[in-house]
Amino acid sequence: MTLTIGIDVGSSAIKFALMEIVSGEEKLIGVRTGRIRRRDPKSVIVETFEHLLEESEVSKDDLDYIATTGDGELCEFRTGHFYGMTTHARGALFLNKDANAALDIGALHARAISFDPRGKVLGYRMTSQCASGSGQFLENIVRYLGIALDEVGELSQKADNPEIVSSICAVLAETDVINMVSRGISAPNILKGIHLSMAGRFAKLLRSSGSSGLVMATGGLARDAGLIAATREEIARQGLGLEFVTHEHSPCAGAIGAAIWGAFRYEKLRQREIAGV
Amino acid sequence: MEHACDCERGASGDSSCADSGSEVSEIVRRCEELYDDLDLGYVKKWKEEHRSKAIGFLPIYVPRELIHAAGMLPVGIMGAGDSLEIIRGDAYYQSYICHLPRSVIELGLSGRLDCIDGFLFPSICDVIRNLSGMWMSLFGGKYVKYLDLPQNLAPALGGKFYRHELTRIRADFERISGREITDDRLRKSIRTYNQNSRLVRDLFRIRSETPELAPASEVHLLMRAGNVLSVEDHSSLLMEYISATMKTKRKKMDNARIVLHGAFCEQPPLGLLRSLENAGCDIVDDDLVLVNRWIKDPVSTSGDPMDALVDAYLHHSVANASKYIADDEKGRELIETCRSKRVEGVIFAAPSFCDPSLLELPMLQDALDRAGIEHTNFRYSEDMGQFHSIREQAGTFADSIKLWS
Repeated sequence: MTLTIGIDVGSSAIKFALMEIVSGEEKLIGVRTGRIRRRDPKSVIVETFEHLLEESEVSKDDLDYIATTGDGELCEFRTGHFYGMTTHARGALFLNKDANAALDIGALHARAISFDPRGKVLGYRMTSQCASGSGQFLENIVRYLGIALDEVGELSQKADNPEIVSSICAVLAETDVINMVSRGISAPNILKGIHLSMAGRFAKLLRSSGSSGLVMATGGLARDAGLIAATREEIARQGLGLEFVTHEHSPCAGAIGAAIWGAFRYEKLRQREIAGV
Repeated sequence: MEHACDCERGASGDSSCADSGSEVSEIVRRCEELYDDLDLGYVKKWKEEHRSKAIGFLPIYVPRELIHAAGMLPVGIMGAGDSLEIIRGDAYYQSYICHLPRSVIELGLSGRLDCIDGFLFPSICDVIRNLSGMWMSLFGGKYVKYLDLPQNLAPALGGKFYRHELTRIRADFERISGREITDDRLRKSIRTYNQNSRLVRDLFRIRSETPELAPASEVHLLMRAGNVLSVEDHSSLLMEYISATMKTKRKKMDNARIVLHGAFCEQPPLGLLRSLENAGCDIVDDDLVLVNRWIKDPVSTSGDPMDALVDAYLHHSVANASKYIADDEKGRELIETCRSKRVEGVIFAAPSFCDPSLLELPMLQDALDRAGIEHTNFRYSEDMGQFHSIREQAGTFADSIKLWS
């Protein structure tokens, strides 16, 4: 049995996944998310790590590999680090074995990743440095609207006449939203418009990355039901022929993938040690 | 897998480990101060204390023993990195020329190199050759020498030529310093540099065997310190670091073992090296700051010291893009390094517009392909500030090695 933990250090939240692998069978023991909220990320990592181990009744010494992804250098007790695309691809595959691609929608950017049945990345495309396709952008908008982030998905799905944001620039889009509020546009219609604008960019990423078949949403925004619905609409509208799904553990896909690759490396290094290489 | 210690800097609860950790941090901090000091405060102080002169040199190699034997301080000038705004330097070079000469010109015109009494421009590429000419025009009162290193490595031809070059600069240094360079003095300097090279080799061995104890970014700072410090001070610093870092229990990471190659002249910014490390790479060898590793073996301290310096260059210097390889196979030495240091991949990092590095690249890539060694490549400049795309590339490269090779 191999016991590993994956830690996905993001810019607004740090996700943890504890995995057990027995004879090649991967089992998710537990997940936990630590929100950074202007705190020192290093202390959030230590705190959340300890909570997860405690609730899972696992000691740190029992862990065979501590794998990080994202800004992993902030985790000083890591065993190894894997790049975000590698871990999101593997995490998506764990959440749905039929997945061929992942759409990672995080706080700072979004990226479409296509991969083979082993989880090996075949191609990717990501948003540029502009924030308008990211969670941070959405967070800013809902703050202007005085809405909690958790309410966004439900409200967006109540829209009856979405107001499309005219620009892909985050700064100009924020100005658009202020104008919409002053014109009396309802919050659901504003949110749906924002979602559709973001979804349009995601659909382009999926198309250009060569994604096909089943696409798994990963990253923090994968739990935004409104955004998922809007992305499905865009995929259909653009005729991409993709099935777009999400999972309750999608926000932790990076951490899950890191934990699985950590187990893989642990076994590989153990074999090397046995062989005396 | 063992989790040796939770500390990166020795905070394991073991007091000797904690002390060594802070000792390492302190040494690294001192090196960083030297690295950031474009005004060469150490050089000015050294000159005052020794009532002597300083001779600057450009990458990659000059025989520093001759400068030392004349009682002067050799100072390596490797550009200004990312901490100097280029205002006048750009006017001297076309946009398709590398960044190093612009920042060296900027350093000179801003008066930061006023404390340097003479300059050696070794023959690396046309840009450095042109820079030596510009230096003569701009700073007419100072000693400037274009040092023609031999490309023909036969003793009867290149050896004779190189000895002639060394004899000329030996006489120049005697004149500038007012001190005769006797054979005994030169032998003593060779011994001093041999000791320094031995310490550098020790450090690189530690780095290769236990990369967590000597991370690339720290080793680079130590090597850069050697550009400014006197060889005696640099050797003390190396001994101090080696002793301190060996006592720390820094955690071993599961990283890809890579070699960084092609960055022998214009140096990448420190942030880039740190980004590569953070992307999951243990850089177990490189060709940065080659001057103290250019000669692979100790230089002979018996017989004629000038012959010893010539022999060292002809028969014991490293393979490099700036040196002609006649009978040897291109890439052989790099492949040997990869095999002896259990390297899993090579990252070719070439400064933008660096002719020697970029022209050599396809030949080395072919050699690595034949040897079955993974590789990737990118360009940089000394003043770049965004490493995101390089980190992404290095991260995926490290993952591909760890998971799919």
